[in-house]
Amino acid sequence: MSNAYLAYAAKRLAQAFIVILLAYVFTFVVVSILPGDPITNVLRDPQNGFTEDQIKQIIAAQGLDQPIPVQLWTSLSHFVTGDLGLSMRSNRPVTTLIAEVLPSTLILASAAFAIALLLALTIAYGTQFLPKRFGQGLLRGFPSLFLSVPNFVIGLVLIHVFGFQLGLFRVIAPDSFWATFFAAVALSIPVSARIAEVLIANLDKEAEQEYAAVARGRGLTQTRLFSKHLLKPSSLPVVTVIALAIGELLGGSLITETVFGRTGIGSLVQRSVSTQDLPVLQAVVSLAAVVFVLVNLIADLIYPLLDPRVKLIGGRGRRPTTTDDSATATTAAVTS
Amino acid sequence: MTLASFSSASRVTAIGRLTAFRVPPTVALSFAVIAIVIAWSLAPGLFTNHSPIAGVPAEKLLSPSAAHWFGTDHLGRDLYTRVVYGTASSVASALIAVVIATVAGGLIGLLAGFLGGWVDIVLARLVDVLLAIPNFLLAVIVVTAIGFDTTNAAIATGVSAVAVFARVMRSEVIKTRQAIFVEAAFLMGGSRWHILLRHVLPNASRSVLPLAVLQFGLSILVIASLAFLGYGDPPPASDWGLLISIGKDYLKWPWLVYAPAFVTIATVLSVNRISRWLRKTD
Repeated sequence: MSNAYLAYAAKRLAQAFIVILLAYVFTFVVVSILPGDPITNVLRDPQNGFTEDQIKQIIAAQGLDQPIPVQLWTSLSHFVTGDLGLSMRSNRPVTTLIAEVLPSTLILASAAFAIALLLALTIAYGTQFLPKRFGQGLLRGFPSLFLSVPNFVIGLVLIHVFGFQLGLFRVIAPDSFWATFFAAVALSIPVSARIAEVLIANLDKEAEQEYAAVARGRGLTQTRLFSKHLLKPSSLPVVTVIALAIGELLGGSLITETVFGRTGIGSLVQRSVSTQDLPVLQAVVSLAAVVFVLVNLIADLIYPLLDPRVKLIGGRGRRPTTTDDSATATTAAVTS
Repeated sequence: MTLASFSSASRVTAIGRLTAFRVPPTVALSFAVIAIVIAWSLAPGLFTNHSPIAGVPAEKLLSPSAAHWFGTDHLGRDLYTRVVYGTASSVASALIAVVIATVAGGLIGLLAGFLGGWVDIVLARLVDVLLAIPNFLLAVIVVTAIGFDTTNAAIATGVSAVAVFARVMRSEVIKTRQAIFVEAAFLMGGSRWHILLRHVLPNASRSVLPLAVLQFGLSILVIASLAFLGYGDPPPASDWGLLISIGKDYLKWPWLVYAPAFVTIATVLSVNRISRWLRKTD
């Protein structure tokens, strides 16, 4: 733990915190430009049976008659203390609503992540072993193919083939093992493609290095070259892709949960969109940003520890994976 | 892609002609697919005699045949016709998304990279925020905020992709700024705006082109997903995502899902192939 590392860590921590706050503000602004007036729409809903006076009282009590900046400040200060407010539809704390559906999404997402990793490793390492003429090109085409198929189509095909034709699972029991498994497969495909792309590019780069040529010249077999020399340096950058995959999993769960009829964060978002339940939307989007930023932060913080070649911003040099020092620096490796 | 190259490998003369232009056969095939898609969106009436809206109830849920290439749907409408007529909206909306992402993202990146200093810092944080929210979730809340229809879905998709373009443009601008010819232009007394527009922008935007093409394919997918969730135009519009969404309720007649899905995948795959080819030839 050098001074440079601590300085770097402190800087990244501060950046992450700022980005999370700004993400909250951004969501607040987007959500508050909603057309119409969803708040009084909900309150005036005849089912609630409020009188106009009561509505005024509620609005005043919630501070909703204040100007937008004041509202933003109140809501932001609540957010920092972990209070996400009440759902406009069910009148229950948003944190409770999210906590209820979170386990289901976590199971789905972690299963999908495991499958994605397995799939990506198989594809990427396969490209190093299969002969050029046969199979390798096909494997190299997989990530691109995976990224060209809409997520919901994969889900529908899996339901059609394994659910309807082979009868492995029933659509009306979305939490059964096989239903969860195939939902996870559907969610994992695009994620695995991103990981595989980076892995393949890294493996190719390492295989061209001089030390690899020397090793080959000394008569190492492809298997030994791969396991002794190429595997480790090319797998390290995957740490940073994993951080990106989290966002993909969260966004993808929206579609996958709808297709497979699961309850979870995704279906909660969908329900909140159709009922214009702003506090829930605001909370989910902000939490997604928090998760994304934190995972990126962790990836950025452990990366220099894993790879001693990496120089830190606090020192003289810069991290080789980044071209700029923004808070989600790891994304640069993939997007550029 | 490799599958395609196997099938066309037999036509040696055609390949010889293509390699003269340095266009790999798979790329040529991709351009052909895109040409068909563009033709479909410009003049759908030329490609089919059926109506995309009025169906023949007696002919509902027929399997694909010579008369109905993709079969018919639950109202007896020819699915191929529906796909062809849905092309314009699916492709145009993806185009809108790409234009928004390229122009807004490019501008942010250009300013951040060229001006530097506090402008760079402020814009970098904005980009960070856009990156921190998962793309699809961002598109969903934006489309919720501005209302459900296909154009708005396109705008939302564009907004969700701004960050990527800003980031790439910024790093390209910084790279170009340090080039010797830019320094020379400064020394010869060129104004900042002259250099920005004449030297930095053209050079920096070269690497944005493959990205824009890639984003076009991605946008088709995102907009299809939004349409699938019902955030696009309602039926009887026939956007590809909407067609698949309708088809999912009739899984006993799987072509209702597979046919529009196939068209979507073929289009996006072709776009991605062209993007990769552009990146390599650059």
